[in-house]
Amino acid sequence: MSDLALDLQHVAKTYRGKVRALQGIEMAVARGEVFGLLGPNGAGKSTLVKILMTVISPSQCQGTMLGKPVGHKPTLSDVGYLPEHHRFPPYLKGGQVLDFFGAMGNVPRRERRRRAAELLEVVGIADWAKKKVGGYSKGMRQRLGIAQALMNDPKLVVLDEPTDGVDPVGRRDIRDIVARLRDEQRTIFINSHLLSELEMVCDRVAILVQGRVRQQGTLDELTEGQHRYELEIVPPQGDASDALDVLRGALPGEVTEQEPPKLPAGTSGTPPVRAEPNAPPFAKRIGFLGTLADGTRVEIERMTLRISTSDPKAVEPVIDRLRARGVTIRSLQQRRPSLEDLFMQAVTDPETGMALKPGAERKTKGAR
Amino acid sequence: MLTQTLALCLDAYRELNARKLFWITMGLNIMVVVVYASLGINERGVTFWHWTFDVPLFNANLISPELFYKLQFVSWGSGLWLTWVAVILALVSTAGLIPDLISGGVIETVLSKPIGRVRLLLTKYVFGLMFVVLQVFVFSLGCFLVMLIRGDTFVPELFLAVPIVVSFFSFLFCVCVLLGLITRSTVAALLLTFLFWFVIFMVNLGDQIMVQQREQAIVALEDAERNLENQITLADRFIERREEEGRTIEDADGNAITGPDEQRVAMNPALERSRQRVPEAEQAVETWNTWSQRVFWLKTLLPKTGETTGLLERWLISQEDINKLFEERTGVNPGDDDNDGPAMNDPRVSRRVTEVFRSRSLAWVLGTSFAFEFVILGIATLIFVRRDF
Repeated sequence: MSDLALDLQHVAKTYRGKVRALQGIEMAVARGEVFGLLGPNGAGKSTLVKILMTVISPSQCQGTMLGKPVGHKPTLSDVGYLPEHHRFPPYLKGGQVLDFFGAMGNVPRRERRRRAAELLEVVGIADWAKKKVGGYSKGMRQRLGIAQALMNDPKLVVLDEPTDGVDPVGRRDIRDIVARLRDEQRTIFINSHLLSELEMVCDRVAILVQGRVRQQGTLDELTEGQHRYELEIVPPQGDASDALDVLRGALPGEVTEQEPPKLPAGTSGTPPVRAEPNAPPFAKRIGFLGTLADGTRVEIERMTLRISTSDPKAVEPVIDRLRARGVTIRSLQQRRPSLEDLFMQAVTDPETGMALKPGAERKTKGAR
Repeated sequence: MLTQTLALCLDAYRELNARKLFWITMGLNIMVVVVYASLGINERGVTFWHWTFDVPLFNANLISPELFYKLQFVSWGSGLWLTWVAVILALVSTAGLIPDLISGGVIETVLSKPIGRVRLLLTKYVFGLMFVVLQVFVFSLGCFLVMLIRGDTFVPELFLAVPIVVSFFSFLFCVCVLLGLITRSTVAALLLTFLFWFVIFMVNLGDQIMVQQREQAIVALEDAERNLENQITLADRFIERREEEGRTIEDADGNAITGPDEQRVAMNPALERSRQRVPEAEQAVETWNTWSQRVFWLKTLLPKTGETTGLLERWLISQEDINKLFEERTGVNPGDDDNDGPAMNDPRVSRRVTEVFRSRSLAWVLGTSFAFEFVILGIATLIFVRRDF
């Protein structure tokens, strides 16, 4: 048995011969891990999930799911799926929904009854089991959808926007369910826009942009070499430019100033999305951008100095200089990019500093 | 596999049950059976509850209770209620089965289960037909009991209405399924199916008119030929009488006519008119025959809704009974008519038209209709299997 729950190679989908939704996806998801799929709107996330669930046929696909080729129908007996914007027939009651979809998953009747009762308890809507789903709130329908996805006791659970429309308490409950499923050694594949939610539960993530996997790995792998130190001082007397001078003066060796990224001609107002993690809108910043003699990137913003290094020794001379000048240090902390930072990096064109166009690529005449 | 099929069956029942129309149609079915049971026939005419309506040509002296109940069942029980009103209600009830299935948010969940698309679509289709099976079965059972109790007749052939009406419905339902898949809209699928039904109805009507005209032309030709023979016989008699009297046959100028044909015309001027009528009638037969053949081939491509429901009449009521009814109602025997041309309601024409429709083979009526259904379902399945949702 393969150690991979999902092993996708060369997955491509072109709609009506024009829209390239997926362009050669390579992705591996190990058994028992929680895998997050991120991407802007139109990146191809739902297309990929639907290909796995046989809802969409791929233009090309050489992957396997639970060791069987993608599209192998019997394998779906071991897969649970919560579609985005799912809708259950309003004439069914909660328990009947679970019974119906359990039966469609070939779950025996007795087992269906047992699991339906158990899952309704787990997702917290046991009291609503005998009420028609037409009267359910969006959050309750989402909980029922998750229960539906688990009816066949799946080895792989694919959740498409599981926290969509769910209140904070519900989100926490869903996180708990995901954690419980992981503890049960199930593989969970989550597609979500809520990066903070994913960051809390995912072991590994893949970021999909314009039908291609931009980044894939654990958060540590993806943020390797992107750690930085942030040092904040107590404001000196005077205005913010005094703080800028103090912090610049504390930088060791020769410092080369860099030009901040420019807005493209003809644009105004909203500045470009920058590749720098946690970068606030440029226009609001009062600061400095440059590099030290050894190439380490530094940035000053108001009272904060950011040094892009994971080596604590690189910060020590700065602290010494500041202390020597009697500057009070309010805080010093090591930071790593968040999932949101990674996401923003992935959707930014490194050359222009602009966000990549959302949506799939369209095939042009003569293009192969 | 059985688990999934049972689940789909139960879901189809719940869906139809939720639509209420299932029970409304069932209630109406029972109401129609009650009306059927209230009808009767006695020596004076037709009875309804305790009222009697005097009908000279429709009473127990002329028609047996068995034939009476069979005729009522075929004419308005099956012919009107089951194949019109109940089918419309059934189409309204089931038209949404496929558009609802393929609507966003539903189809993704269903397709993510280990069930093939072909089986899913065909199972849904079959359970759509179950709606009609149940309705027609209940109706037929009710009518069967009425016949048994009131008509004192055991007619199990009545249950042939179930496969016949279900086949009839399936010819329309397959189109509704295909249109539902293409348009994804219940209303559009329903309206377009009704439009298709109307087209079939018009083709059927055209066929009936063409066959009626052709048979009328054939009867007219037979009449013209018979009339010609009569005129010749009459002329020969005149000639014989002249010869017996020793008189010659002369033209207007007093010249003797020697040719036998000229003598006949001279003795019976109406012969010339009768002769002219024969090729005219032959031409009319040829023209209507060509047109009726064209309509027939067009019909061959389409489902035979009219003939399909006509099968019930064919199997329940014999040709002898039909002939007897024509004779009793009109008192006319074929061959008695010496008029210039048959009227539209000429019983000979009506009988010939009935015979033409009843003689159409089962293979043509059902075979080509099922072939149509097979093709339409094939296209629908192909679309469903290939579509990305």
